[in-house]
Amino acid sequence: MLDMLQYDFMRIALVSAILIGVTAPAVGTFIVQRRLSLLGDGVGHIALTGIGLALLTGTSPLLGALVVCVLGAVAIEVLRARSRSGGDVALAVLFYGGLAGGVLLTNREGGGASLQAYLFGSITSVTARDLYVVAGLAVVVLGIVLVFGRELFLLCQDEEVARTAGLPVRFLSVLIAATAAVTVVIAMRAIGLLLVSALMVVPVAAAQQVTRGFRGTMLVAMGVGVLSAVTGLAGSFQYDLPPGPSIVLLALAIFLAAVVGGSVVRRRRTVPAPVPDEARAGATAEAEVRGG
Amino acid sequence: MSSAPPLQMTGGRVRFDGREALSGVDLRVGAGEFLAVLGANGSGKSTLVRALLGLVPLSGGRTEIYGVPPARFRDWKRVGYVPQRLPAGGGVPATVREIVASGRVARRSRWRPASSADRAAVDAALRAVGLADRARDSAHLLSGGQQRRVLIARALAGEPDVLVMDEPTAGVDAASQAALAAILRELAGRGRTVVLVAHELGPLEPLIDRCVVMEHGRVAHEGAPPPPAWSRAAQAEDPHHHGPREGARSDEIGMRAG
Repeated sequence: MLDMLQYDFMRIALVSAILIGVTAPAVGTFIVQRRLSLLGDGVGHIALTGIGLALLTGTSPLLGALVVCVLGAVAIEVLRARSRSGGDVALAVLFYGGLAGGVLLTNREGGGASLQAYLFGSITSVTARDLYVVAGLAVVVLGIVLVFGRELFLLCQDEEVARTAGLPVRFLSVLIAATAAVTVVIAMRAIGLLLVSALMVVPVAAAQQVTRGFRGTMLVAMGVGVLSAVTGLAGSFQYDLPPGPSIVLLALAIFLAAVVGGSVVRRRRTVPAPVPDEARAGATAEAEVRGG
Repeated sequence: MSSAPPLQMTGGRVRFDGREALSGVDLRVGAGEFLAVLGANGSGKSTLVRALLGLVPLSGGRTEIYGVPPARFRDWKRVGYVPQRLPAGGGVPATVREIVASGRVARRSRWRPASSADRAAVDAALRAVGLADRARDSAHLLSGGQQRRVLIARALAGEPDVLVMDEPTAGVDAASQAALAAILRELAGRGRTVVLVAHELGPLEPLIDRCVVMEHGRVAHEGAPPPPAWSRAAQAEDPHHHGPREGARSDEIGMRAG
Protein backbone atom coordinates (compact mmCIF):
# COMPACT_ATOMS: atom_id res chain seq x y z
CA MET A 1 0.00 0.00 0.00
CA LEU A 2 2.90 2.32 0.78
CA ASP A 3 4.36 1.88 -2.69
CA MET A 4 1.69 4.25 -3.97
CA LEU A 5 3.69 7.02 -2.32
CA GLN A 6 6.52 6.46 -4.79
CA TYR A 7 4.49 8.22 -7.44
CA ASP A 8 4.27 11.97 -7.56
CA PHE A 9 0.66 11.97 -8.74
CA MET A 10 -0.33 9.68 -5.89
CA ARG A 11 1.32 11.90 -3.29
CA ILE A 12 -0.60 14.85 -4.72
CA ALA A 13 -3.76 12.76 -4.81
CA LEU A 14 -3.30 11.73 -1.19
CA VAL A 15 -2.90 15.29 0.08
CA SER A 16 -5.90 16.34 -1.96
CA ALA A 17 -7.94 13.42 -0.55
CA ILE A 18 -7.08 14.49 3.00
CA LEU A 19 -8.09 18.09 2.27
CA ILE A 20 -11.42 16.92 0.84
CA GLY A 21 -11.98 14.55 3.74
CA VAL A 22 -11.54 17.39 6.23
CA THR A 23 -13.40 20.24 4.50
CA ALA A 24 -16.44 18.54 2.96
CA PRO A 25 -17.87 17.16 6.24
CA ALA A 26 -17.01 20.39 8.13
CA VAL A 27 -19.25 22.41 5.82
CA GLY A 28 -21.61 19.45 5.48
CA THR A 29 -22.50 19.53 9.18
CA PHE A 30 -24.06 22.97 8.76
CA ILE A 31 -25.61 22.06 5.42
CA VAL A 32 -27.27 18.93 6.83
CA GLN A 33 -28.63 20.75 9.91
CA ARG A 34 -30.03 23.48 7.63
CA ARG A 35 -31.79 20.80 5.54
CA LEU A 36 -29.84 21.74 2.44
CA SER A 37 -28.35 18.29 1.82
CA LEU A 38 -28.98 18.57 -1.89
CA LEU A 39 -27.36 22.02 -2.21
CA GLY A 40 -24.01 20.41 -3.01
CA ASP A 41 -25.67 18.37 -5.75
CA GLY A 42 -27.15 21.48 -7.31
CA VAL A 43 -23.90 23.39 -7.15
CA GLY A 44 -22.16 20.38 -8.70
CA HIS A 45 -24.50 20.54 -11.70
CA ILE A 46 -23.90 24.24 -12.09
CA ALA A 47 -20.13 23.76 -11.84
CA LEU A 48 -20.19 21.91 -15.13
CA THR A 49 -21.19 25.07 -16.94
CA GLY A 50 -18.21 26.80 -15.34
CA ILE A 51 -15.89 24.09 -16.57
CA GLY A 52 -17.43 24.30 -20.04
CA LEU A 53 -16.94 28.06 -20.11
CA ALA A 54 -13.35 27.68 -18.93
CA LEU A 55 -12.56 25.10 -21.62
CA LEU A 56 -14.16 27.38 -24.21
CA THR A 57 -12.16 30.43 -23.16
CA GLY A 58 -8.95 28.55 -22.38
CA THR A 59 -8.83 29.45 -18.70
CA SER A 60 -8.35 27.09 -15.78
CA PRO A 61 -11.37 24.79 -15.26
CA LEU A 62 -10.86 25.09 -11.52
CA LEU A 63 -11.20 28.86 -11.68
CA GLY A 64 -14.17 28.72 -14.05
CA ALA A 65 -15.95 26.24 -11.79
CA LEU A 66 -15.15 28.33 -8.73
CA VAL A 67 -16.64 31.54 -10.13
CA VAL A 68 -19.76 29.89 -11.55
CA CYS A 69 -20.31 27.73 -8.45
CA VAL A 70 -20.17 30.64 -6.03
CA LEU A 71 -22.49 32.72 -8.23
CA GLY A 72 -24.83 29.73 -8.55
CA ALA A 73 -24.87 29.10 -4.80
CA VAL A 74 -25.65 32.75 -4.10
CA ALA A 75 -28.46 32.60 -6.69
CA ILE A 76 -29.87 29.46 -5.03
CA GLU A 77 -29.82 31.13 -1.62
CA VAL A 78 -31.52 34.28 -2.93
CA LEU A 79 -34.21 32.19 -4.66
CA ARG A 80 -34.71 30.14 -1.51
CA ALA A 81 -35.13 33.21 0.69
CA ARG A 82 -37.35 35.07 -1.80
CA SER A 83 -40.00 32.51 -2.56
CA ARG A 84 -41.00 29.80 -0.15
CA SER A 85 -43.15 27.99 -2.70
CA GLY A 86 -41.65 28.68 -6.14
CA GLY A 87 -38.08 28.20 -4.92
CA ASP A 88 -38.21 24.47 -5.55
CA VAL A 89 -38.92 24.83 -9.26
CA ALA A 90 -36.45 27.68 -9.61
CA LEU A 91 -33.75 25.47 -8.14
CA ALA A 92 -34.56 22.63 -10.54
CA VAL A 93 -34.35 25.04 -13.47
CA LEU A 94 -30.94 26.20 -12.29
CA PHE A 95 -29.67 22.62 -11.81
CA TYR A 96 -30.74 21.33 -15.21
CA GLY A 97 -29.67 24.52 -16.94
CA GLY A 98 -26.24 24.13 -15.39
CA LEU A 99 -25.92 20.46 -16.36
CA ALA A 100 -27.23 20.89 -19.92
CA GLY A 101 -25.12 24.00 -20.47
CA GLY A 102 -22.04 22.23 -19.19
CA VAL A 103 -22.50 19.15 -21.35
CA LEU A 104 -23.14 21.32 -24.41
CA LEU A 105 -20.12 23.54 -23.84
CA THR A 106 -17.68 20.71 -23.06
CA ASN A 107 -18.97 18.73 -26.04
CA ARG A 108 -18.28 21.69 -28.32
CA GLU A 109 -14.68 21.56 -27.21
CA GLY A 110 -14.53 17.85 -27.98
CA GLY A 111 -14.01 17.14 -24.30
CA GLY A 112 -16.07 13.97 -23.97
CA ALA A 113 -13.33 12.20 -22.04
CA SER A 114 -12.70 15.14 -19.74
CA LEU A 115 -16.44 15.44 -19.15
CA GLN A 116 -16.41 11.89 -17.84
CA ALA A 117 -13.47 12.77 -15.58
CA TYR A 118 -15.29 15.78 -14.16
CA LEU A 119 -18.56 13.94 -13.61
CA PHE A 120 -17.12 10.92 -11.83
CA GLY A 121 -13.73 12.10 -10.68
CA SER A 122 -10.19 11.32 -11.60
CA ILE A 123 -7.96 12.12 -8.68
CA THR A 124 -4.85 11.13 -10.58
CA SER A 125 -5.34 14.06 -12.95
CA VAL A 126 -4.79 16.61 -10.18
CA THR A 127 -1.67 18.62 -10.95
CA ALA A 128 0.68 20.20 -8.43
CA ARG A 129 -0.71 23.64 -9.35
CA ASP A 130 -4.28 22.42 -8.81
CA LEU A 131 -3.19 21.18 -5.41
CA TYR A 132 -1.99 24.63 -4.36
CA VAL A 133 -5.32 26.14 -5.37
CA VAL A 134 -7.25 23.37 -3.60
CA ALA A 135 -5.13 23.78 -0.45
CA GLY A 136 -5.71 27.54 -0.49
CA LEU A 137 -9.46 27.03 -0.85
CA ALA A 138 -9.46 24.46 1.96
CA VAL A 139 -7.79 27.00 4.26
CA VAL A 140 -10.47 29.56 3.32
CA VAL A 141 -13.29 27.07 4.05
CA LEU A 142 -11.87 25.98 7.40
CA GLY A 143 -11.19 29.61 8.32
CA ILE A 144 -14.82 30.50 7.66
CA VAL A 145 -16.01 27.56 9.77
CA LEU A 146 -13.68 28.61 12.58
CA VAL A 147 -14.55 32.32 12.59
CA PHE A 148 -18.27 32.16 11.78
CA GLY A 149 -18.98 28.74 13.28
CA ARG A 150 -20.86 30.00 16.33
CA GLU A 151 -23.09 32.28 14.30
CA LEU A 152 -23.68 29.60 11.65
CA PHE A 153 -24.59 27.15 14.42
CA LEU A 154 -27.33 29.42 15.72
CA LEU A 155 -28.50 30.20 12.18
CA CYS A 156 -28.82 26.48 11.42
CA GLN A 157 -30.57 25.83 14.76
CA ASP A 158 -33.23 28.52 14.43
CA GLU A 159 -33.16 31.35 11.92
CA GLU A 160 -35.64 33.50 13.88
CA VAL A 161 -33.67 33.28 17.09
CA ALA A 162 -30.56 34.17 15.07
CA ARG A 163 -32.38 37.29 13.87
CA THR A 164 -33.36 38.32 17.40
CA ALA A 165 -29.70 37.86 18.38
CA GLY A 166 -28.89 40.55 15.81
CA LEU A 167 -27.00 38.20 13.48
CA PRO A 168 -26.67 39.20 9.80
CA VAL A 169 -28.94 36.34 8.74
CA ARG A 170 -28.94 37.08 5.02
CA PHE A 171 -25.16 37.44 4.87
CA LEU A 172 -24.63 34.23 6.84
CA SER A 173 -27.06 32.30 4.61
CA VAL A 174 -25.17 33.41 1.51
CA LEU A 175 -21.86 32.69 3.25
CA ILE A 176 -22.74 29.08 4.06
CA ALA A 177 -24.04 28.50 0.50
CA ALA A 178 -20.91 30.05 -1.02
CA THR A 179 -18.68 28.00 1.30
CA ALA A 180 -20.48 24.86 0.17
CA ALA A 181 -19.81 25.91 -3.43
CA VAL A 182 -16.10 26.33 -2.73
CA THR A 183 -16.09 22.87 -1.14
CA VAL A 184 -17.64 21.40 -4.27
CA VAL A 185 -14.79 22.90 -6.30
CA ILE A 186 -12.21 21.50 -3.87
CA ALA A 187 -13.63 18.00 -4.21
CA MET A 188 -14.72 17.96 -7.86
CA ARG A 189 -11.46 16.75 -9.37
CA ALA A 190 -11.13 13.75 -7.11
CA ILE A 191 -14.69 12.69 -6.34
CA GLY A 192 -16.50 13.95 -9.41
CA LEU A 193 -19.28 16.52 -9.58
CA LEU A 194 -22.07 13.96 -9.36
CA LEU A 195 -20.69 12.44 -6.16
CA VAL A 196 -19.26 15.50 -4.44
CA SER A 197 -22.14 16.14 -2.11
CA ALA A 198 -22.01 12.55 -0.86
CA LEU A 199 -18.85 13.45 1.02
CA MET A 200 -20.57 16.50 2.51
CA VAL A 201 -23.58 14.53 3.72
CA VAL A 202 -22.71 10.86 4.32
CA PRO A 203 -19.93 11.34 6.91
CA VAL A 204 -22.24 13.69 8.86
CA ALA A 205 -25.08 11.17 8.67
CA ALA A 206 -22.67 8.54 9.99
CA ALA A 207 -21.31 10.72 12.79
CA GLN A 208 -24.71 11.83 14.10
CA GLN A 209 -25.56 8.20 14.85
CA VAL A 210 -22.98 8.06 17.61
CA THR A 211 -22.49 11.64 18.84
CA ARG A 212 -24.40 13.90 21.23
CA GLY A 213 -23.19 17.36 20.24
CA PHE A 214 -22.70 19.52 17.17
CA ARG A 215 -18.95 20.00 17.56
CA GLY A 216 -18.52 16.28 18.22
CA THR A 217 -20.54 15.44 15.10
CA MET A 218 -18.38 17.74 13.02
CA LEU A 219 -15.10 16.30 14.32
CA VAL A 220 -16.21 12.68 13.95
CA ALA A 221 -17.56 13.45 10.46
CA MET A 222 -14.18 14.92 9.51
CA GLY A 223 -12.54 11.74 10.78
CA VAL A 224 -14.94 9.61 8.71
CA GLY A 225 -14.28 11.87 5.70
CA VAL A 226 -10.50 11.54 5.88
CA LEU A 227 -10.69 7.81 6.59
CA SER A 228 -12.92 7.08 3.61
CA ALA A 229 -11.06 9.46 1.27
CA VAL A 230 -7.60 8.04 2.06
CA THR A 231 -8.69 4.39 2.23
CA GLY A 232 -10.82 4.77 -0.88
CA LEU A 233 -7.91 6.29 -2.77
CA ALA A 234 -5.50 3.57 -1.66
CA GLY A 235 -8.04 0.92 -2.62
CA SER A 236 -8.59 2.41 -6.02
CA PHE A 237 -4.81 2.48 -6.60
CA GLN A 238 -4.42 -1.11 -5.44
CA TYR A 239 -7.31 -2.61 -7.39
CA ASP A 240 -7.46 -0.15 -10.28
CA LEU A 241 -10.93 1.19 -9.41
CA PRO A 242 -12.26 4.71 -10.03
CA PRO A 243 -11.46 6.73 -6.88
CA GLY A 244 -14.71 8.77 -6.54
CA PRO A 245 -17.11 5.82 -6.30
CA SER A 246 -14.65 3.89 -4.10
CA ILE A 247 -14.46 6.77 -1.61
CA VAL A 248 -18.23 7.29 -1.54
CA LEU A 249 -19.00 3.58 -1.12
CA LEU A 250 -16.54 3.41 1.77
CA ALA A 251 -18.24 6.38 3.43
CA LEU A 252 -21.59 4.63 3.00
CA ALA A 253 -20.18 1.45 4.57
CA ILE A 254 -19.06 3.50 7.57
CA PHE A 255 -22.52 5.04 7.72
CA LEU A 256 -24.15 1.61 7.86
CA ALA A 257 -21.74 0.50 10.59
CA ALA A 258 -22.53 3.69 12.52
CA VAL A 259 -26.29 3.06 12.27
CA VAL A 260 -25.78 -0.35 13.86
CA GLY A 261 -23.22 0.91 16.37
CA GLY A 262 -25.33 3.97 17.18
CA SER A 263 -28.42 1.96 18.08
CA VAL A 264 -26.29 -0.08 20.49
CA VAL A 265 -24.79 3.08 22.03
CA ARG A 266 -28.25 4.66 22.38
CA ARG A 267 -29.67 1.57 24.01
CA ARG A 268 -26.83 1.68 26.52
CA ARG A 269 -27.49 5.38 27.03
CA THR A 270 -31.13 5.00 28.02
CA VAL A 271 -29.69 4.32 31.49
CA PRO A 272 -28.94 7.94 32.43
CA ALA A 273 -25.35 7.28 33.50
CA PRO A 274 -22.94 9.96 32.27
CA VAL A 275 -20.64 8.47 29.63
CA PRO A 276 -17.16 10.07 29.75
CA ASP A 277 -15.76 11.52 26.52
CA GLU A 278 -13.00 8.93 26.23
CA ALA A 279 -15.52 6.10 26.22
CA ARG A 280 -17.56 7.81 23.53
CA ALA A 281 -14.50 8.50 21.38
CA GLY A 282 -13.59 4.85 21.76
CA ALA A 283 -17.02 3.69 20.63
CA THR A 284 -16.79 6.00 17.63
CA ALA A 285 -13.34 4.78 16.66
CA GLU A 286 -14.66 1.25 16.89
CA ALA A 287 -17.48 2.05 14.50
CA GLU A 288 -14.99 3.58 12.11
CA VAL A 289 -12.66 0.61 12.22
CA ARG A 290 -15.54 -1.77 11.62
CA GLY A 291 -16.57 0.31 8.61
CA GLY A 292 -13.05 0.60 7.14
CA MET B 1 -30.16 53.62 28.82
CA SER B 2 -32.79 55.34 26.76
CA SER B 3 -36.18 56.25 28.18
CA ALA B 4 -38.08 54.68 25.26
CA PRO B 5 -40.18 51.65 26.33
CA PRO B 6 -38.73 48.18 25.59
CA LEU B 7 -41.56 47.38 23.16
CA GLN B 8 -44.21 49.60 21.65
CA MET B 9 -46.66 48.96 18.81
CA THR B 10 -48.99 51.57 17.34
CA GLY B 11 -51.84 50.49 15.05
CA GLY B 12 -49.97 47.29 14.18
CA ARG B 13 -51.42 45.27 11.31
CA VAL B 14 -50.21 41.95 9.89
CA ARG B 15 -51.63 40.15 6.85
CA PHE B 16 -51.02 36.50 5.95
CA ASP B 17 -52.22 35.51 2.47
CA GLY B 18 -54.91 38.19 2.45
CA ARG B 19 -56.18 37.29 5.93
CA GLU B 20 -55.63 39.86 8.63
CA ALA B 21 -53.85 38.24 11.59
CA LEU B 22 -53.41 41.50 13.49
CA SER B 23 -55.91 44.30 12.89
CA GLY B 24 -54.67 47.46 14.50
CA VAL B 25 -53.03 46.67 17.81
CA ASP B 26 -51.76 49.36 20.20
CA LEU B 27 -49.50 48.01 22.90
CA ARG B 28 -46.86 49.51 25.11
CA VAL B 29 -44.68 47.32 27.31
CA GLY B 30 -42.99 49.40 30.00
CA ALA B 31 -39.57 48.69 31.50
CA GLY B 32 -39.76 46.12 34.28
CA GLU B 33 -43.30 45.14 33.38
CA PHE B 34 -44.46 41.52 33.35
CA LEU B 35 -47.06 41.19 30.60
CA ALA B 36 -49.04 38.09 29.67
CA VAL B 37 -50.59 37.79 26.19
CA LEU B 38 -53.53 35.39 26.35
CA GLY B 39 -56.00 34.11 23.81
CA ALA B 40 -57.32 31.08 21.99
CA ASN B 41 -55.52 29.34 19.13
CA GLY B 42 -55.45 31.58 16.07
CA SER B 43 -56.32 34.72 18.06
CA GLY B 44 -53.09 36.39 16.95
CA LYS B 45 -51.14 36.25 20.21
CA SER B 46 -48.07 34.59 18.73
CA THR B 47 -48.22 36.87 15.71
CA LEU B 48 -48.33 39.86 18.05
CA VAL B 49 -45.10 39.02 19.88
CA ARG B 50 -43.35 37.97 16.68
CA ALA B 51 -44.36 41.27 15.08
CA LEU B 52 -43.11 43.15 18.15
CA LEU B 53 -39.64 41.67 17.45
CA GLY B 54 -39.79 42.30 13.70
CA LEU B 55 -39.96 38.57 12.87
CA VAL B 56 -43.22 39.18 11.01
CA PRO B 57 -43.41 42.27 8.79
CA LEU B 58 -46.19 44.78 9.51
CA SER B 59 -48.60 45.69 6.73
CA GLY B 60 -49.61 48.81 8.63
CA GLY B 61 -48.78 50.78 11.75
CA ARG B 62 -45.40 50.76 13.43
CA THR B 63 -43.53 48.93 16.13
CA GLU B 64 -40.39 49.88 18.02
CA ILE B 65 -37.85 48.17 20.25
CA TYR B 66 -36.39 50.71 22.67
CA GLY B 67 -37.65 53.43 20.35
CA VAL B 68 -36.12 52.01 17.15
CA PRO B 69 -37.95 50.05 14.39
CA PRO B 70 -36.77 46.38 14.38
CA ALA B 71 -35.12 46.70 10.95
CA ARG B 72 -32.83 49.44 12.25
CA PHE B 73 -32.47 48.14 15.81
CA ARG B 74 -28.88 47.15 16.64
CA ASP B 75 -28.79 46.60 20.39
CA TRP B 76 -30.07 43.01 20.19
CA LYS B 77 -28.10 41.89 23.24
CA ARG B 78 -30.87 43.59 25.27
CA VAL B 79 -33.48 41.23 23.78
CA GLY B 80 -34.03 37.55 24.49
CA TYR B 81 -36.52 35.52 22.44
CA VAL B 82 -37.75 32.08 23.47
CA PRO B 83 -39.50 30.31 20.57
CA GLN B 84 -42.18 27.67 21.06
CA ARG B 85 -40.00 24.69 20.33
CA LEU B 86 -36.55 23.43 19.49
CA PRO B 87 -36.54 22.71 15.74
CA ALA B 88 -35.05 19.34 14.85
CA GLY B 89 -33.57 20.66 11.61
CA GLY B 90 -31.55 18.06 9.75
CA GLY B 91 -31.05 16.00 12.89
CA VAL B 92 -27.48 16.95 13.72
CA PRO B 93 -27.38 16.61 17.52
CA ALA B 94 -26.44 19.51 19.76
CA THR B 95 -25.65 19.32 23.46
CA VAL B 96 -27.65 21.34 25.97
CA ARG B 97 -24.55 23.42 26.65
CA GLU B 98 -23.91 24.13 22.96
CA ILE B 99 -27.43 25.44 22.54
CA VAL B 100 -27.36 27.53 25.70
CA ALA B 101 -23.92 28.94 24.83
CA SER B 102 -25.25 30.09 21.45
CA GLY B 103 -27.41 32.56 23.38
CA ARG B 104 -24.23 34.54 24.10
CA VAL B 105 -23.66 35.22 20.41
CA ALA B 106 -25.02 38.79 20.57
CA ARG B 107 -22.55 39.62 23.34
CA ARG B 108 -19.45 38.01 21.85
CA SER B 109 -17.00 39.08 19.20
CA ARG B 110 -16.67 36.52 16.43
CA TRP B 111 -12.89 36.91 16.57
CA ARG B 112 -12.41 36.06 20.24
CA PRO B 113 -12.82 32.77 22.07
CA ALA B 114 -15.29 32.52 24.96
CA SER B 115 -14.32 34.70 27.92
CA SER B 116 -14.74 33.65 31.54
CA ALA B 117 -17.77 35.97 31.69
CA ASP B 118 -19.32 34.03 28.78
CA ARG B 119 -18.74 30.72 30.50
CA ALA B 120 -20.05 32.03 33.81
CA ALA B 121 -23.25 33.32 32.14
CA VAL B 122 -23.82 29.95 30.47
CA ASP B 123 -23.23 28.11 33.76
CA ALA B 124 -25.62 30.44 35.58
CA ALA B 125 -28.32 30.00 32.91
CA LEU B 126 -27.98 26.21 33.10
CA ARG B 127 -28.26 26.31 36.88
CA ALA B 128 -31.25 28.66 36.74
CA VAL B 129 -33.27 26.15 34.70
CA GLY B 130 -31.96 23.18 36.69
CA LEU B 131 -30.19 21.51 33.78
CA ALA B 132 -26.55 21.88 34.85
CA ASP B 133 -26.27 18.09 35.18
CA ARG B 134 -27.61 17.56 31.64
CA ALA B 135 -25.24 20.06 29.99
CA ARG B 136 -23.42 17.41 27.96
CA ASP B 137 -26.51 15.50 26.87
CA SER B 138 -28.09 15.78 23.46
CA ALA B 139 -30.88 18.36 23.78
CA HIS B 140 -33.13 16.51 21.34
CA LEU B 141 -33.27 13.47 23.62
CA LEU B 142 -34.69 15.48 26.55
CA SER B 143 -38.38 15.66 27.41
CA GLY B 144 -40.54 18.44 25.98
CA GLY B 145 -40.50 20.37 29.25
CA GLN B 146 -36.73 20.07 29.55
CA GLN B 147 -36.31 21.29 25.96
CA ARG B 148 -38.33 24.41 26.81
CA ARG B 149 -36.00 25.01 29.71
CA VAL B 150 -33.02 24.69 27.36
CA LEU B 151 -34.53 27.38 25.13
CA ILE B 152 -35.17 29.62 28.14
CA ALA B 153 -31.61 29.08 29.34
CA ARG B 154 -30.33 30.08 25.88
CA ALA B 155 -32.17 33.40 26.19
CA LEU B 156 -31.03 33.87 29.81
CA ALA B 157 -27.39 33.28 28.82
CA GLY B 158 -27.53 36.48 26.78
CA GLU B 159 -28.51 38.42 29.93
CA PRO B 160 -31.26 40.37 28.14
CA ASP B 161 -33.22 43.29 29.55
CA VAL B 162 -36.44 42.18 27.88
CA LEU B 163 -37.45 38.55 27.50
CA VAL B 164 -40.14 37.55 25.00
CA MET B 165 -41.46 34.00 25.42
CA ASP B 166 -43.83 32.22 23.05
CA GLU B 167 -45.95 29.73 25.02
CA PRO B 168 -43.29 28.47 27.43
CA THR B 169 -45.91 26.58 29.43
CA ALA B 170 -47.81 24.73 26.69
CA GLY B 171 -47.56 20.97 27.09
CA VAL B 172 -45.11 21.23 29.98
CA ASP B 173 -45.45 18.96 33.02
CA ALA B 174 -46.27 20.44 36.43
CA ALA B 175 -42.70 20.16 37.73
CA SER B 176 -41.31 22.09 34.76
CA GLN B 177 -44.07 24.70 35.14
CA ALA B 178 -43.14 25.23 38.77
CA ALA B 179 -39.46 25.51 37.79
CA LEU B 180 -40.39 28.05 35.13
CA ALA B 181 -42.40 30.09 37.63
CA ALA B 182 -39.37 30.18 39.96
CA ILE B 183 -37.10 31.39 37.13
CA LEU B 184 -39.54 34.11 36.11
CA ARG B 185 -40.05 35.24 39.71
CA GLU B 186 -36.32 35.77 39.99
CA LEU B 187 -36.20 37.69 36.69
CA ALA B 188 -39.09 39.90 37.72
CA GLY B 189 -37.29 40.49 41.01
CA ARG B 190 -34.29 41.77 39.08
CA GLY B 191 -36.47 44.24 37.19
CA ARG B 192 -36.36 42.49 33.80
CA THR B 193 -39.17 43.09 31.35
CA VAL B 194 -41.03 39.92 30.42
CA VAL B 195 -43.63 39.36 27.70
CA LEU B 196 -45.17 35.92 27.83
CA VAL B 197 -47.63 34.26 25.45
CA ALA B 198 -49.76 31.65 27.14
CA HIS B 199 -52.91 29.59 26.86
CA GLU B 200 -53.35 29.50 30.61
CA LEU B 201 -51.27 31.01 33.36
CA GLY B 202 -51.23 28.31 36.02
CA PRO B 203 -48.48 28.89 38.61
CA LEU B 204 -47.29 31.99 36.71
CA GLU B 205 -50.43 33.94 37.51
CA PRO B 206 -49.22 35.72 40.69
CA LEU B 207 -46.25 37.14 38.74
CA ILE B 208 -48.27 38.91 36.05
CA ASP B 209 -48.63 42.71 36.21
CA ARG B 210 -50.92 43.05 33.23
CA CYS B 211 -52.80 40.85 30.79
CA VAL B 212 -53.70 41.36 27.17
CA VAL B 213 -56.34 39.00 25.81
CA MET B 214 -56.26 38.66 22.02
CA GLU B 215 -59.27 37.79 19.94
CA HIS B 216 -59.50 37.83 16.12
CA GLY B 217 -56.31 39.85 15.84
CA ARG B 218 -57.46 42.56 18.25
CA VAL B 219 -56.90 43.31 21.89
CA ALA B 220 -60.20 42.18 23.44
CA HIS B 221 -59.27 42.79 27.06
CA GLU B 222 -56.45 44.58 28.76
CA GLY B 223 -55.85 44.97 32.46
CA ALA B 224 -55.41 42.96 35.61
CA PRO B 225 -54.92 39.21 35.30
CA PRO B 226 -58.19 37.28 35.13
CA PRO B 227 -59.04 35.22 38.24
CA PRO B 228 -57.43 31.79 38.58
CA ALA B 229 -60.60 30.13 37.26
CA TRP B 230 -59.92 31.83 33.92
CA SER B 231 -60.01 29.23 31.21
CA ARG B 232 -60.50 28.99 27.50
CA ALA B 233 -64.21 28.32 28.05
CA ALA B 234 -64.65 31.32 30.32
CA GLN B 235 -62.77 33.49 27.88
CA ALA B 236 -65.04 32.43 25.03
CA GLU B 237 -68.10 33.38 27.07
CA ASP B 238 -66.88 36.65 28.52
CA PRO B 239 -63.62 38.03 27.20
CA HIS B 240 -64.13 41.31 29.06
CA HIS B 241 -64.12 39.73 32.45
CA HIS B 242 -62.07 41.67 34.99
CA GLY B 243 -60.61 39.71 37.84
CA PRO B 244 -60.81 41.06 41.42
CA ARG B 245 -57.05 41.00 41.80
CA GLU B 246 -56.17 44.62 42.51
CA GLY B 247 -55.29 44.11 46.18
CA ALA B 248 -53.22 41.02 45.59
CA ARG B 249 -51.43 42.73 42.76
CA SER B 250 -50.29 45.78 44.68
CA ASP B 251 -49.03 43.44 47.38
CA GLU B 252 -46.95 41.65 44.80
CA ILE B 253 -45.56 44.85 43.39
CA GLY B 254 -44.79 46.15 46.85
CA MET B 255 -42.88 43.00 47.67
CA ARG B 256 -40.97 43.17 44.43
CA ALA B 257 -39.95 46.78 44.92
CA GLY B 258 -38.74 46.06 48.45
